[in-house]
Amino acid sequence: MIPTELKRELQNRIAAAVTPREAAVDVMKELQAHYGWLTDEAVGEAAGFLGLSTVQVEELATFYEMIYRRPVGRHVIHVCDSISCWAMGGESLLEKIGGTLGIETGGITADGLFTLLPCCCLGNCGQAPTLMIGETIYGKVTVERVAEILEQKRRDS
Amino acid sequence: MVNLTIDDKQVTVAKDATIFDAAKAAGIRIPILCHDKKLHPFGGCRMCLVEVEQMKGRLIPACTTPVTEGMIVRTTTDEIMTARKLVLELLLLKHPLDCPVCDAAGDCDLQNLTYEYKVNANKFTDEKFRWDIDYENPLIERDQNRCIHCGKCSRICDEIVAFGAYSFVNRGIEAKISTPFDEKLDCEYCGSCISVCPVGALIAKPFKFKARWWALNKVKSVCSYCGTGCQLTLGVKDNKVLTTVYDEDQGFHNGQLCSRGRFGYQFINSDKRLTTPLIKKNGTLVPASWEEAIDLVVSRLSEAKKSDPSSVAALVTPRLTNEELYLFRKLFKDVIGTDSIDHSAGYAHKALTEGLKESFGITASPSLIEDIQKTDLLLVLKSDAYETHPVIGFEINLAVKRQGVDLRILSDKSGKLTRLPDAKKYIHKPGSEILLVNAIAKSILDQNLADPAAQSLPGFDALKSALAAVSIEQISAAAGVPVEAITRLATDYAKAGKALILLPIGLGYPGHGSELTSALANLAILTGKLNKEGCGILILGEKNNSQGAADLAIHPTAGGRDAGAILEGCTSGAVKVLYIAGENPVVSYPDKAKSVKALESGAFVVVQDLFLTETAQMADVVLPVKSFAEKCGTFTSVGRNVQQIRKAISAVGQSRSDREITAELISKLSGAACGGSSAEIFTEIAASTPGYSSLSTDSLGDNGVIYPVVITPKLVPVVGVVPETEEGKFALLIGSSLYHCGTMSRYGEGPMLVCGESYLELGRTDAGKLGVSEGDTIKLKSAAGELNLKVKVGTRMPEGVVFVPYHFETSAINSVTAGNPVTWVTLSR
Repeated sequence: MIPTELKRELQNRIAAAVTPREAAVDVMKELQAHYGWLTDEAVGEAAGFLGLSTVQVEELATFYEMIYRRPVGRHVIHVCDSISCWAMGGESLLEKIGGTLGIETGGITADGLFTLLPCCCLGNCGQAPTLMIGETIYGKVTVERVAEILEQKRRDS
Repeated sequence: MVNLTIDDKQVTVAKDATIFDAAKAAGIRIPILCHDKKLHPFGGCRMCLVEVEQMKGRLIPACTTPVTEGMIVRTTTDEIMTARKLVLELLLLKHPLDCPVCDAAGDCDLQNLTYEYKVNANKFTDEKFRWDIDYENPLIERDQNRCIHCGKCSRICDEIVAFGAYSFVNRGIEAKISTPFDEKLDCEYCGSCISVCPVGALIAKPFKFKARWWALNKVKSVCSYCGTGCQLTLGVKDNKVLTTVYDEDQGFHNGQLCSRGRFGYQFINSDKRLTTPLIKKNGTLVPASWEEAIDLVVSRLSEAKKSDPSSVAALVTPRLTNEELYLFRKLFKDVIGTDSIDHSAGYAHKALTEGLKESFGITASPSLIEDIQKTDLLLVLKSDAYETHPVIGFEINLAVKRQGVDLRILSDKSGKLTRLPDAKKYIHKPGSEILLVNAIAKSILDQNLADPAAQSLPGFDALKSALAAVSIEQISAAAGVPVEAITRLATDYAKAGKALILLPIGLGYPGHGSELTSALANLAILTGKLNKEGCGILILGEKNNSQGAADLAIHPTAGGRDAGAILEGCTSGAVKVLYIAGENPVVSYPDKAKSVKALESGAFVVVQDLFLTETAQMADVVLPVKSFAEKCGTFTSVGRNVQQIRKAISAVGQSRSDREITAELISKLSGAACGGSSAEIFTEIAASTPGYSSLSTDSLGDNGVIYPVVITPKLVPVVGVVPETEEGKFALLIGSSLYHCGTMSRYGEGPMLVCGESYLELGRTDAGKLGVSEGDTIKLKSAAGELNLKVKVGTRMPEGVVFVPYHFETSAINSVTAGNPVTWVTLSR
């Protein structure tokens, strides 16, 4: 169940779109923000709002890697694995962060704070390697810099 | 029109054609895997790549590229052949080569193209997918490992079936077609997805390992379930109908079928088929020879004829061919001399035989199925039109989704149709249809929206004065539909450029009779929505030949007994011989006790049927008949289409066709030979049946012929009665399940696998109040009796209203109903 206020906001967004389907990503993101991840229940609710079938919502949800169809930690670390970042050490960066956090990619840290995911190009190739946490993009990251960022996130939580 | 050149051939096509369409029109075949002529172009498979002179530098997909003037297209250059071969190699990279055990082998586009393009090696290697195969659902086996991602299943389910069972998920390298949350498939099981699957990713479970596709003899025929008249192709081997074969060029529906049409064929070769005549001896039906059985029937009929012809009566199913119905009428009305012959419980044909007869002077709908997609506003009476006639339901889906038709549903429950995009529903209290239609007519008159020409038509003044007494406010209150909604519907209907009314009829819809039909006809006549494309009224006859039975007047026409009176006559002793052909009153007529009593009354009962039905079990003589697959003849479907069925297999057991049996009885009783082929009898029908005069079996061809009608409109005032309500009780509605048609589909394996028993459907609120949930058993009690039913909880039923399908013998709903549109019942756990 979602709060009435959120429900109204979603309905307004859909009403403002040319076709309901266009608002699908917005709706999924809002529901994801509400639940923490896009639960099956949320997929059903999104379908109801958008006038789509659940499997049509699922199609969109599974296409976008920043829509999470499985539980995630409070902060999701997206490490770019596209070509520029890869060439600048993105692959080993991902591995090392995983080692530091003690999780495989896709896993959640025991304290529930972090999930680590590879992602495709974040459009920040000039600053490779790049990662994104929440809405913030970090460029030219090193293992040390990541440790600082994560420590900061831990303190803030 | 646009002119272009394809492979040096000049082609002229419509401007909205694609290169693929243009090539097809010119007889040039372009290979393709993801295209179906019924679906929007997709451009997914890349097999249809062609070269366009004006677009050099890359290859162009023919299926998504519109033609332009002067375009020069080549479809088979070396570059194209190499590209197509590459496409096939890439597809075969993941596609398992399990063709020896794949049911699609022989009918597989990928296999055929691989062979044609000689792809005997692959320059790539990769692992195959290892998705779990869905063996769980009853009818459609889904092996996603074989899937080539053409998306046709997902598109047909969305675009035409409007269900949306599938979609791509995890787009990218792990992409696959998934059901909601990847659970087992749970859909309408129409099997449209199987029909368009180019490979063996979707196969019909009942046909698995039954026969190789190329070993099947394919016989074109017409479906013998509902009145839609869908053409189908039977796949036959060793004198058995093993499957239905998809042919996208068949019928108005382009080969689309519903669940029962596609999967309900097994009744033909069912083990339960009767194979010999049976005669009741010492209370038990025992096998007998045809000679003995016929002699007995003839002696009883001639005895009764001699003493009192009116003591003979017949109930005949509208599933028989026109030729058979014609002979039946001849046997009873002419040879024996009784007018007591009827079908469909006597009420399910009255929309045609009385309603339209009175309003239009004919017993057939003035409109056609093709009008559905050509209209502007479609008014459907009861959402059940989808359940009773699913393929007409597809036409409605297409009308709404492709043509933007404004759909209005006046119904006592919601349903598939009310969920279509922008569909407007008017959910009313059960039994208030006539009131509402009258209110609409009244509003049309009040708003001066009547067609001026209507004022000079017979009945106008009578209707006007009758409607003067009608109060829209009172009807609104009685029917539970707001006044504004009624008047708005009236305005929109009257002002629409074209408007069409659909009314399903049948044994499950006792309220859809002559009065409702005339009330609806009034709307069309008042607003001049007649005799024009996309206008009028289309009555959806329940059975495959309901229209034929109306055309041939298989009902009393000279004061004889109708179905109800025939059964009462048996009980009172007035009817001495009851001849039942294919009808199953014990299960399908209302008031089971009445039918049982009639059959137990001592009247001599002859039943001819495919199966030892509940009715046949009570007969004195049972004659085994041929199914539609074992005989020739014609059916007349919704929209007056006369189509031919073709013999696909020889007779099962010793069964004879109803035509052969009836002809023999006529010969023996009249002393004059009665024989002749179906075609010869059809010639007699053409000579004596209004509308059929220009028809002959030769002229019917593959698509049948729509016979012409001329209507003489008359406005007929109809009085609507405020339905009685009973406080604290539930309104029970009966009707058709999506998977069944009459009682015959119970012998088809497919329908029974999906819906094998009766149920009671109710809304969530009522379920909560009663404390029952899905699958629980609930006790239903009416004035006539009580029974236990499984609960189905859904979103269709309004509060206080419950639904039960009428097809089943176990927990037969006719043991609690008496033929009223609404039955008031109490429910308890």
